[in-house]
Amino acid sequence: FQKTPEIYSVELSGTKDVKKTDKGDGKQKYRGLKNKCSNFRKNDQIEEIKEELDLDDHKLSSEELEKRYGTNIITGLSSARAAELLARMGPMPSTLPRRPRDCQDVMCLTFPWRDLVLGSGSLLSLTPLLITQVYLGAVLALVVILTGIFAYYQEAKSTNIMASFSKMIPQQALVIRDAEKKTIPSEQLVVGDIVEIKGGDQIPADIRLLSSQGCKVDNSSLTGESEPQSRSCDFTHDNPLETKNIGFYSTTCLEGTATGMVINTGDRTIIGQIASLASGVGNEKTPIAIEIEHFVHIVAGVAVSIGIIFFIIAVSMKYPVLYSIIFLIGIIVANVPEGLLATVTVTLSLTAKRMAKKNCLVKNLEAVETLGSTSIICSDKTGTLTQNRMTVAHLWFDNQIFMADTSEDHSNQIFDQSSETWASLAKIITLCNRAEFKPGQESIPIMKKTVVGDASETALLKFSEVILGDVMEVRKRNRKVAEIPFNSTNKFQLSIHETDDPNDKRFLMVMKGAPERILEKCSTIMINGQEQPLDQSTAKAFHTAYMELGGLGERVLGFCHLYLPADEFPETYSFDIDTMNFPTSSLCFVGLLSMIDPPRSTVPDAVTKCRSAGIKVIMVTGDHPITAKAIARSVGIISANSETVEDIAKRLNIAVEQVNEWDAKAAVVTGMELKDMSQEQLDELLANHSEIVFARTSPQQKLIIVEGCQRLGAVVAVTGDGVNDSPALKKADIGIAMGIAGSDAAKNAADMVLLDDNFASIVTGVEEGRLIFDNLKKTIAYTLTKNIAELCPFLIYIIVGLPLPIGTITILFIDLGTDIIPSIALAYEKAESDIMNRKPRHKKKDRLVNKPLALYSYLHVGLMQSLGAFVVYFTVYSQEGFRPSTLIGLRLEWEKHSVNDLEDSYGQEWTRYQRQYLEWTGYTAFFIAIMVQQIADLIIRKTRRNSIFQQGLFRNKVIWVGIASQIIIALILSYGLGSITALNFTMLRAQYWFVAVPYAILIWVYDEVRKFFIRLYPGGWWDKNMYY
Amino acid sequence: MRRQHRSRRAPTFPHGYRYRLDDQDEANQNYLADEEEEAEEEARVMGVPNGQGQPTGNTWWQKLQLMNEYLWDPEQRMSLARTGQSWSLILVIYFFFYASLAAVITVCMYTLFLTISTYMPTFTERVKPPGVMIRPFAHSLNFNFNVSEPDTWQHYVISLNGFLQGYNDSLQEEMNVDCPPGQYFIQDGNEDEDKKACQFKRSFLKNCSGLEDPTFGYSTGQPCILLKMNRIVGFRPELGDPVKVSCKVQRGDENDIRSINYYPESASFDLRYYPYYGKLTHVNYTSPLVAMHFTDVVKNQVVPVQCQLKGKGIINDVINDHFVGRVIFTLNIET
Repeated sequence: FQKTPEIYSVELSGTKDVKKTDKGDGKQKYRGLKNKCSNFRKNDQIEEIKEELDLDDHKLSSEELEKRYGTNIITGLSSARAAELLARMGPMPSTLPRRPRDCQDVMCLTFPWRDLVLGSGSLLSLTPLLITQVYLGAVLALVVILTGIFAYYQEAKSTNIMASFSKMIPQQALVIRDAEKKTIPSEQLVVGDIVEIKGGDQIPADIRLLSSQGCKVDNSSLTGESEPQSRSCDFTHDNPLETKNIGFYSTTCLEGTATGMVINTGDRTIIGQIASLASGVGNEKTPIAIEIEHFVHIVAGVAVSIGIIFFIIAVSMKYPVLYSIIFLIGIIVANVPEGLLATVTVTLSLTAKRMAKKNCLVKNLEAVETLGSTSIICSDKTGTLTQNRMTVAHLWFDNQIFMADTSEDHSNQIFDQSSETWASLAKIITLCNRAEFKPGQESIPIMKKTVVGDASETALLKFSEVILGDVMEVRKRNRKVAEIPFNSTNKFQLSIHETDDPNDKRFLMVMKGAPERILEKCSTIMINGQEQPLDQSTAKAFHTAYMELGGLGERVLGFCHLYLPADEFPETYSFDIDTMNFPTSSLCFVGLLSMIDPPRSTVPDAVTKCRSAGIKVIMVTGDHPITAKAIARSVGIISANSETVEDIAKRLNIAVEQVNEWDAKAAVVTGMELKDMSQEQLDELLANHSEIVFARTSPQQKLIIVEGCQRLGAVVAVTGDGVNDSPALKKADIGIAMGIAGSDAAKNAADMVLLDDNFASIVTGVEEGRLIFDNLKKTIAYTLTKNIAELCPFLIYIIVGLPLPIGTITILFIDLGTDIIPSIALAYEKAESDIMNRKPRHKKKDRLVNKPLALYSYLHVGLMQSLGAFVVYFTVYSQEGFRPSTLIGLRLEWEKHSVNDLEDSYGQEWTRYQRQYLEWTGYTAFFIAIMVQQIADLIIRKTRRNSIFQQGLFRNKVIWVGIASQIIIALILSYGLGSITALNFTMLRAQYWFVAVPYAILIWVYDEVRKFFIRLYPGGWWDKNMYY
Repeated sequence: MRRQHRSRRAPTFPHGYRYRLDDQDEANQNYLADEEEEAEEEARVMGVPNGQGQPTGNTWWQKLQLMNEYLWDPEQRMSLARTGQSWSLILVIYFFFYASLAAVITVCMYTLFLTISTYMPTFTERVKPPGVMIRPFAHSLNFNFNVSEPDTWQHYVISLNGFLQGYNDSLQEEMNVDCPPGQYFIQDGNEDEDKKACQFKRSFLKNCSGLEDPTFGYSTGQPCILLKMNRIVGFRPELGDPVKVSCKVQRGDENDIRSINYYPESASFDLRYYPYYGKLTHVNYTSPLVAMHFTDVVKNQVVPVQCQLKGKGIINDVINDHFVGRVIFTLNIET
């Protein structure tokens, strides 16, 4: 596997050289993996697909093809046969298969809740003896249905955004049928159709090219190769993916025209097969789904165990079994946070919305959090880390290397432009260039203008336009008289111009090309505007500069010129480019210019942020190791002061073998090396190097890398744009597709789409994801707390026999009424500290709901809340006549409908309905008490470690909206709907609203004390047990 | 294996890019030393290299073992992932936490009761207007009995006799005072002073007193039913207009009940029995009664009867509450 730097430094318009290398290892790229296939099962499938492509159409001659598909190259299929084939094979889907996004997905999120709530609900309906309970069952069922619909609606909304992304314009194909050219929708194409394509078209099916005029296609979505590939009708390679005479469905024809025969349609196209493979790769559960499941297990565990304990207690206390079952259900209902599903969904979709504003479009709501727990990002290079356009990075003239501005707008070109040499170089750059701006773009900034021409020439054109102004005008003044375009044998481009100096009748010959080729042709070199003979020392300086620029992974071009003497070449001289009747040697070397696809200016910052956030950024690229490494260094994926094994070897001047592998922090691994690695070696590599660049990898190897990372227990984010990336995107914990460059298949497989293809957006996403995890923790802590206050009454009711302090309907009004907006408001809470300065959470250790959270919520704040609520309850009952001593054990008599003269502590006699009404007053009072204390709970949940006063009581305005909503809903329930008996609310005396306030303050003070000790003894016993 | 590849790869790097590294060699050394620890930590967090991750057994047996170990880990002498010391610490902390919570609650409840009078309820609006109840009462408001079969009505008689024990003339005369009728029996003085109660003698009920007819008319198919108004502390009927009782057929033929005798004949609760001062001080208070003697009711047929209180300040048409100011029961007297 030999590569020479020159391949990467010389590249004008052709892709021949790259192609050659690609061809060289291309087969191995796809086939070679076979050796290790036993280790990589998933990849094995991909390989199988590659192998199973028993596509041999590219090997056949056109006559054999005609025979095979029963068609005629000139006249095409007959309409009748096409119709028959269409009927047999089915139409070709106009878009690739979408990821199923129906209600099943919603079920995934809602299922556990459904299970719990519905379970209790249906149990309730099983007790038809008690009409009120059936009524309750209906309410519960309604709650379940409504929250389900709500969640679905939220999901559907984000799916809709996605839908708008796919290009729904039906594609047309120009097809020859019955010897006539017809335009038909491309899904009606059948095998054997003869289609014509031209530049700009998307290829409508897999086609075998029959004729081609300068046809080039962009296969990047399929193979990841970003260079345009030329297509011809020659069979050049055994592998159908490599041969030049096959055009693939969904790739784009960039320029030229071609005629081809359809050989595969629909799912049988190569892209169709890969896409269907992607849907076969198992979709892992998202971390947040796992966390929520874990949480449900905890809640269900608590609910069921308490329920069963009290069932046994109730039975042993001689309650009828039926009553005991109802108690059991009541306990479960009190324990299930019915509103949490809606809250979580809203919280996630709020974040999704926020992220969409920052160019991260989240397709799968749960993926919002996944990004936050990401510990490894496998990023593409081209387009994601870089700007995806060649840009002039360095210049070398006057024996000096100058740096050009590579930022997105090129605005700041600071190198010394006073030298005469620069003037000459600028002229060559301007003149020896065939690229042109498309007309009608005057108002667009230069860097955004569309250019006709290849990447390098575009770079040069824009560079010179920025520095010199109107290039076209310069070219007009220096009329071109002859031109030799670039070709891969010459490796140079040459043109001859008249000069713009009317007194100077000489012609100017300008030339650019591979630096060493250019240097060969030169005998002099221009230094400070003066021609000097090219001697050993200047040649050495040239080589040093060339190697240095090459070592930066840049593509280097040499520039030279020659003023043709006016006596030999008079104004009328006719230049013949075939016979080359002009000198092409003894030229004057002017300078070097190197180009690179520069990193986006925001990326280094983003990578640093990732690093401080404990996220490992791995670059996976199909590009050459040197370029990859250079970009990795410049964006900080390989930090400035870490070395690879090779670097150490070079520094110590020893052989690579002698270097201790583990001394090197960074590693650059090529696809070839990766291919020879065993699974263990890959694991070791991933675990031991903190900075890794994978270069020259096939998109398939991306999948191997992702799986390797996942074996380490990491949460892996993968960026990708090609169809071939889609299995890796799917396999990853979170697949991130590129919104601009990405193919539909990639976008479909991904969980998230970066609208600006910018790596920095991922970091924003990570930040949001981490914040949402923290805030969900707060939300859940907030929600769980009141469960105890809802549960205790029931337990006391069973054991002590008090009249029921709070009814099930009332509990639902807390869970789904007063508590909803506040718990959503917690999603707006700002981070307590710099969340980007801590390590990603550990999947197994840092749970959403951990022991301290549950204990603190249940046994500390929850208990305080219950006590506070009970005090209110006792206050109400005592003031109305029932003192606690009377209430104990009163339950049976209290609930008897026939007892209408029940005596209270003062000897007064109560009818059943009067007692009932008092009970509802008790419910309302208990409800208000919980609500008041939940306000305190909400405030304390704003932070987990910092004091509320550090966080700022008023910074999160939504919290206050939440508090206001709580109070308003409670007021409405008590005073507005107090007369509706079915809701079990009554108008409560104003003073009862304030009984619980001291307890609310107590909760706040207690929590401040807790946080104070946590801050005082970080890592101490208190911190470990009380920090959630 | 990797190294061999490196050797092959090495020449592919041009010499040119050395320049950067050379300058930074020194920094490298320091940096690497610093980072080593971190890298180690990272590796640990990743949980792979030492291979001590959670055992991933799927079988029940393994799970059971894990659970067992969690409950009691003999090696580290830990139960539920806590050592004995840790347990005692946490228990002590919880003990103090709950003890102080209990103290807070006790203080609160104590203050609460300081503000609430033991003699007078703070609010009485929930128990007003007064409810009504009848005797005899045995779980049901449907009076079904057969005149000729004493077994079917004997329990009514027993119940009434029991209920009226407290109204025996001798007892009433001994315990209570005979106060003037037609006016409130207001007893000023301190809340906590014992209050006297007015006599309500069993003999006031005449034919329904069970004194003359020990079967309260059940043996003759003319049942007596006693009606009492629920006690409410401080409740006073309108002055000069005592609360009256009137019964009629609730649904159906008005003539199903041809006559009712009320005892006392005024069919009302005399004002002297009001106000009520609460059971703590008004110990011997006996609720006044009105007896309804259904002397002529259609036999062998269910007759729904509604008895209402009438008077100012009395509400007898609350939809949800069938016992406020009224009572509905059925009579089915078989012969």
